[in-house]
Amino acid sequence: MAEVQLVDVEKRYGDFLAVTRQNLTIKDGEFLVLLGPSGCGKTTTMRMIAGLEEITAGNLLFAGERVNDKAPKDRDIAMVFQNYGLYPHMTVADNIGYPLKLRGVDRKTRTARVQETAEKVELGALLKRRPSELSGGQRQRVALARAIVRTPKIFLMDEPLSNLDAKLRVTMRAELKHLHHELGVTTVYVTHDQMEAMTLAHRVAVMREGRIVQLDTPKNIYSEPADLFVASFIGSPPMNLIDGRISGGRFEAPGVSLPVEATDRDKVVMGIRPEDLELTDPASAPISGRVYALELTGDSTLVTLREQGSSICARGPADFEAAINTSCGLAPKPGARTHLFDKDSGQRIDA
Amino acid sequence: MNRKRIYWWGERAVLVLVSCIVLFPILWMFLTAFKRPKDAYSLSLDFSPTLSNFVTVFSDPWNLGDMVLNSAIVASVTVLIAVPCASLAAYSFSRFRVRGRKFLFFLILSTQFIPAVVIVLPFFLMFRTLGLLDTRIALIVVNLAIVTPFVIWMIKGFIDAIPTDSEEAAMIDGASRLRVIKDIVLPMAAPGILTSSIFCFILTWNEFLFALILTRRDAVTLPVGLVSFRTERGDLWELMSAAGVMITVPIFIMALLIQKHFTRGMTAGAVK
Repeated sequence: MAEVQLVDVEKRYGDFLAVTRQNLTIKDGEFLVLLGPSGCGKTTTMRMIAGLEEITAGNLLFAGERVNDKAPKDRDIAMVFQNYGLYPHMTVADNIGYPLKLRGVDRKTRTARVQETAEKVELGALLKRRPSELSGGQRQRVALARAIVRTPKIFLMDEPLSNLDAKLRVTMRAELKHLHHELGVTTVYVTHDQMEAMTLAHRVAVMREGRIVQLDTPKNIYSEPADLFVASFIGSPPMNLIDGRISGGRFEAPGVSLPVEATDRDKVVMGIRPEDLELTDPASAPISGRVYALELTGDSTLVTLREQGSSICARGPADFEAAINTSCGLAPKPGARTHLFDKDSGQRIDA
Repeated sequence: MNRKRIYWWGERAVLVLVSCIVLFPILWMFLTAFKRPKDAYSLSLDFSPTLSNFVTVFSDPWNLGDMVLNSAIVASVTVLIAVPCASLAAYSFSRFRVRGRKFLFFLILSTQFIPAVVIVLPFFLMFRTLGLLDTRIALIVVNLAIVTPFVIWMIKGFIDAIPTDSEEAAMIDGASRLRVIKDIVLPMAAPGILTSSIFCFILTWNEFLFALILTRRDAVTLPVGLVSFRTERGDLWELMSAAGVMITVPIFIMALLIQKHFTRGMTAGAVK
């Protein structure tokens, strides 16, 4: 276990700046998720921590020690790859036992440890098979078992669940979370799935174009997104973002008029989450529009309204029914949060 | 439907015709190898087969046995040196992003553009100076020069096809680069490397021009030996055919081996 520190870490490919002066401290035992769309530099950041990618500038410290120039094998890390990276010519048992073999652990101890680890991820019966004879989920478990067969200082996981089907992903997510609780090893986890990030992380680093735009707990990232990018990236369905202006203490946009505590200004984007809106009588509603679509999700209905080309989504009760194109009104629930952003800079405007 | 049938039969007919054109000389060679001299020029298939041609070519003055040995040694040693070197080179070209890599690779391939006839004389002079004319060493050196670039290119193709994930996983699991090559890359590239080895062997085994110029008596290889059946008494077709069979059979066997391994992929299951 160890604290990981990135100090002004930078990665360039020729003229292209993949990661820009990254500063990040991952606490001992923490589960940190790097979240962002593809190409944002999250995987590059992780690969630099792993030693698979050279660091162009800056320092990488493990427990205070500079490791920039250490080979991956000397960093005492374990990694789970998106495509598993199994050894196809070896059996499951040999795959899992390979890190131990490289460390000169004798055959007997190795067999015992492999068995024990395989049980932990429910692979006990498959040890003699080869990776090609396993399903995707089982392959992922082999990769996971190979990572936890010894106790490394740091776990790195590069989108480990993205090749699994939706149902299995949820199960494995819970298993990963439990595993981290059990082992307590510092973990860096890369994903583009905000749901994974929210559920797994102690802290989430939202990345965009090679920079971290917000680093905070999942709760804070959800309730206080730092800018428009984070606001639109976190949450499902995503936060409603409405272009408008503030005048006379009210946010004004087509079909929207809401009181806000902010000084008057133009070019403002208001954000409000679908779950913070409720359906009301159209006559007196602060937000109104025509019903564009109704989507039943089981426990609720997503109601999308359209007004002059802009749409707003709200989470309504499961039994809500209305005809398409009828007028409908929305209001923030009592105690609901609205968020204001500057349209040009994208930055959050605090009241 | 009818049209489809016609196409089907047409396709088969063309295939059979082409196969016949390709296979007929080989069949004829095999037949001639078992004919007596008096039957060699007859087109009749009605002859009594004999093994005497094989006995003759292996005895004085032809001594085909020596040539088989020369060919076997030259081809084997060439493969044993070329393939390991080429594998490492191919791995480097495939994986390391070194400055000038593409140019270097082009240089290696460009050696294949030079017609052999152009460089045969320089080689002759070089080996004469070194006192290596008519030795197997000279043939091995020349064959290495010809074959290695080709094998590098071939093996690189196979290594390119191996996903890097497994290698990176091994490095993180604690393996050094050489260990990764030994434990991960070689087993996964094995079918490709084997195929390349057999190609390499065939190329060397059949190499004619350099062997003709650089050998005289001691290091003569099979393809060159064939020429010696053109004597003042005329072409000894039945003996030449027997020797031809001796050249062809090992290659046939290897071709069969290639077929078996060529189709088998080892990378299945490494990634999603």
